[in-house]
Amino acid sequence: MNKKSALLIAPALALAAMTFSSGAAMAADNGTSTFETNLGAINGSNATGSVWITLTGDQATVTENVSGLAATFNGAAYPHAQHIHIDGAGVCPAPSADTSGDGVISTTEGGPSYGKIGTTLSTSGDTSDKAALDLAVAGMGASYKYERTFTMNAETIASMKAGKAVVVVHGLDPATLPAAAQKEMSDLAPTLPLAATSPALCGTLAVSQMAAMPGGAPGTGVTTALAPTNASTSPDVAWFVGGGALVLAAGGALALGRKRTVAAHKSTVAK
Amino acid sequence: MLAASAPVSLSVPDIGLTTPLLSLGRDAKGEAEVPPGEAGSPAGWYKYSPTPGEQGPSVILGHVNTTTIPEGVFYRLHELKPGEQFSVSRADGSVLVFGVDRTEIFQKASFPTLAVYGNTDRAEIRLITCGGYEPSTGEFVENTVVYGHLLSSTK
Repeated sequence: MNKKSALLIAPALALAAMTFSSGAAMAADNGTSTFETNLGAINGSNATGSVWITLTGDQATVTENVSGLAATFNGAAYPHAQHIHIDGAGVCPAPSADTSGDGVISTTEGGPSYGKIGTTLSTSGDTSDKAALDLAVAGMGASYKYERTFTMNAETIASMKAGKAVVVVHGLDPATLPAAAQKEMSDLAPTLPLAATSPALCGTLAVSQMAAMPGGAPGTGVTTALAPTNASTSPDVAWFVGGGALVLAAGGALALGRKRTVAAHKSTVAK
Repeated sequence: MLAASAPVSLSVPDIGLTTPLLSLGRDAKGEAEVPPGEAGSPAGWYKYSPTPGEQGPSVILGHVNTTTIPEGVFYRLHELKPGEQFSVSRADGSVLVFGVDRTEIFQKASFPTLAVYGNTDRAEIRLITCGGYEPSTGEFVENTVVYGHLLSSTK
């Protein structure tokens, strides 16, 4: 594409793409709603995490960051099954949920707090409760970022909107359990140790105060041109292309911006 | 906390700054739009965040530099100290005073989305720019985030 011609259409685009803020708060595009939660450690996992979900109709994009989970299991990356639980009390279990008194809140013991599995946050394939224990599609290792868009079932959506949906990430380091509990087998999968399936992170999804969660880190620094001799490949131009409509808008909006900010700019420079 | 009303300008006397505020949306990739890069460009309010004064994290973005000169609208943002105050004027005629709680610097590669944009119990604000200029690439690798909360408002 000819860069010059692209820049020539900037003024018209600018007015369409960019306005000085004047209206009330905007609803998000397309009836999108956003849910979020910070994940807290359960069973002494010392892990942390956060999850946010953008929902448009029945299309959900789940973004999750976790760290500090158990790293390895039998010499391989530790599989952390993860789900959105629904139809319970909509809370994470308190220590008193450990009805067996073995020092570990098992997945079953946490059930009354967070409910049954509504959605499996699998890395591929089935996202229903049928994939709940498929460790091949679990989160892997101590820290990971999970991002996936899928069709979310109606039950999970309803529970999320009712404030009753709880994200639970499973899988503890057996060495962190009380000695007796280290020898116990899982309440869910009798071939696995209790540690493998017990909850490690938990958080109740709430409606986000952000109508739409911004993705990534804000691009509030202008990449400077290192080799201005070749405009078509300089980083400067790359930045312009990367900014999409806004970038094309820059030239036109600027006339407006300059007039209104000349005073601010001067005082900024003067100090 | 106040009802919604879009912000029209930001004044931060401690760093000699007054700027009108653009309304910023999201680009095709879902990332927050940023104001134009040219010298003299204003800061902007991310229109899918709460308006300043509403409960939640109101987000204001401004460039640290420009396409031509080093001094972007927020190039002195990092100088703000806890307890310092700044104000936002809104379309409804109200003027809101915010106090700085803290400044945090994050690597862009591990930007903690919910720690910056997550729900809050009160009316808060985030002034965000870039930092960590990397001469070898000409890019900025950090974000500077000033956290503040609403102290008072007049109309």
